Amino acid sequence: MKNSQEPLGSLEHIVLLAVMGLGANAYGVTVRRQIEGGTGRDISIGAVYATLVRLESKGLIKSSTGEPTAERGGRAKRYFRMTAAGEGALRNTHEIILKMSAGLKGLQAT
Amino acid sequence: MGRRAVHWAMWAFSRLAPHSQREALLGDLAEEYAMRATALSPSAACRWYLRQVCASVPPLLWSRLAQPGWIVTTAVALCAYIAVGFVELIVNWAIAGASGSSAAGYNPLGMYLTFPLVVLIGYVTAGLRRRAEIVLVAMMLLSVTAMTLWGHESLPAWYRIAYFLVGPAATLTGSSLRSRLLALGRS
Repeated sequence: MKNSQEPLGSLEHIVLLAVMGLGANAYGVTVRRQIEGGTGRDISIGAVYATLVRLESKGLIKSSTGEPTAERGGRAKRYFRMTAAGEGALRNTHEIILKMSAGLKGLQAT
Repeated sequence: MGRRAVHWAMWAFSRLAPHSQREALLGDLAEEYAMRATALSPSAACRWYLRQVCASVPPLLWSRLAQPGWIVTTAVALCAYIAVGFVELIVNWAIAGASGSSAAGYNPLGMYLTFPLVVLIGYVTAGLRRRAEIVLVAMMLLSVTAMTLWGHESLPAWYRIAYFLVGPAATLTGSSLRSRLLALGRS
């Protein structure tokens, strides 16, 4: 397991924010749609999963198997939830962004 | 383009997706496909599905290769690839020495002599690491394609085609020979 204080990559950051925002309903489809809605970026489900697996290997999220449904062809969902280490990593990344953007007037919200 | 294309894309995707994520990934794709087919149209959903599968291949492949197990598999395949190159070099050098011709590389005899040695390399590679022989075949196909597309040397067409087929065929023969011998040993 890697250090949670290591800054997150941009996609890791976005995926972790989506998992946090979705709470108990975070699984592949909802995470992908949340990112698409929030960023306007047409992201592939493969990229979402590759990032989720990386975040899980770093101990920033945990996964559990859900219930299979008919519309999924009888396949089970895999739910993700953020760990305390994940929260720490998000806070750390947020602080870095705030520090780096402090005083940059062009970036201030209008 | 229709359900059959989706069915084939799903089959190909299920071969590629890592085992631990396969079920959830295919389920997510099926769920969103069904939602889009109802909200938009079956053909739009089908296009979306195929786009998703194509765009998912590189990140999933990279994620799989970055796993420690796959690094070892790739390293074993790379060593085997170097061994194949070495065998080919020795065989061509021996033929050139015997015939006194510098064009020995295009001699079919070289392929006949190299084939059993590559079968042996395929056999050993499959024994050292499961699926390393598949990575070796992929390396061979990629290198021949690259040489064909960007190589400066003008090789005869029959040699290119034979080169494309012989190496992978010999490697897979070696690995299937090993599987058969193991199955015979068990029975």
